[in-house]
Amino acid sequence: MKYKDYYAILGVDRAAGADDIKKAYRKLARKYHPDVSKEPDAEEKFKEMAEAYETLKDPEKRAAYDQLGRHAAGQDFEPPPDWGQQFAGARTAFDDIDLADLFAGLAGRQRAGRRGPGAFSSGRDYEAAVRLSFEQAFHGTEIELDLSVLESDAQGVVRRVPRRIHARIPKGVSDGQQLRIPGKGGKGVEGGRDGDLYLDIVVESHPWYRVDGQDIYLDLPLAPWEAVLGTTVRLPTPAGTVSLKVPPGTRAGQQLRLAGRGLARAGAPAGNLHAIVQIVVPSVVDGQERALLQQLAEASTFNPRAHFEQESVHEH
Amino acid sequence: MNIETCEALRIDERGEISWTQLIELSGLDETELKELVDDGALAPLRAEALPWHFHARSVVVARTAGRLRREFDLDAHGLAVVMRFLSRIEELEAELQALRAGVARRR
Repeated sequence: MKYKDYYAILGVDRAAGADDIKKAYRKLARKYHPDVSKEPDAEEKFKEMAEAYETLKDPEKRAAYDQLGRHAAGQDFEPPPDWGQQFAGARTAFDDIDLADLFAGLAGRQRAGRRGPGAFSSGRDYEAAVRLSFEQAFHGTEIELDLSVLESDAQGVVRRVPRRIHARIPKGVSDGQQLRIPGKGGKGVEGGRDGDLYLDIVVESHPWYRVDGQDIYLDLPLAPWEAVLGTTVRLPTPAGTVSLKVPPGTRAGQQLRLAGRGLARAGAPAGNLHAIVQIVVPSVVDGQERALLQQLAEASTFNPRAHFEQESVHEH
Repeated sequence: MNIETCEALRIDERGEISWTQLIELSGLDETELKELVDDGALAPLRAEALPWHFHARSVVVARTAGRLRREFDLDAHGLAVVMRFLSRIEELEAELQALRAGVARRR
């Protein structure tokens, strides 16, 4: 097991009082917490500090940590021979775990111990980030997760073991949502509930589709003459291409709604898909197009700025 | 290695959870959760009906509160203030997302 100097990580003296440790941690948390920090390696640093504080703020854990002796940070070491008996109360395979695991295990046993013999302690919850494409989120998917979890073997020796989980993700999940896989966290102690595995869903943005709740929006570019005369377009929706009728006289910004073509969730009606009309013009026109447009310009009586003229009548 | 297939469940949608389930799932203890209810960060579905029941999405709120309390070493009052700001940020983010989704992008 590699040694970590928790005092050095928090920047406090080994003799520091509980208040100084708390003050030092709070100051560092404000600077390095990933929710608020702009420091480049904030997440990594914060994890280290949280781990150090978790141990040093608890008098029993701090005493157990102090008993490990002083070593150089990163140096391989073995806890003193009777350490496991005295503090952990169980045999531990020290090679397979790190300091944080050691003290996390200690916390579970402390809780169980305080409630008296035969008391149980719930297993730890784990959390994992899951990245999905827009299509995977829309249709639902199956993913594989590789985790590293703490487990006791038949002899009660605690080890870190790899665990692969195959999980079915329901259709219609959205960015920022959390899913739960019950019982797939850490094992409960002495009949305590097994922890859960939480999945933090990140949905990649799509070049065409934008999601709001269960509704999906996409831009529908139309040529000016298509908007004026009306047309039928082939519209790609996440569930397949459909024919969409664009009525004559369609304006820019108008939304054409396709009911039930949004995100679907089990047990709830599906959202809608909204095609937002954009009028786009060709950047280059050939001779014939130009001649026809010229003809249109001369023949048309349409005045798109009629309201400006009305405004100026008001003023005078 | 053992490969297990499991169903990932939504936790923040419809449905209710009991006070006991909330304690179990949130990782907070009863006193801490009670403070969140007193501060309005968590609202029971029918406050007068005991034992309390909550909207299923309360688990997310309670878990977030538990994480922030631990990671920033907040006291109950600080936590309540942070939770209020957080819920305001979430409302604004949702509004911003709705606005962005409903307006055509510039081409």
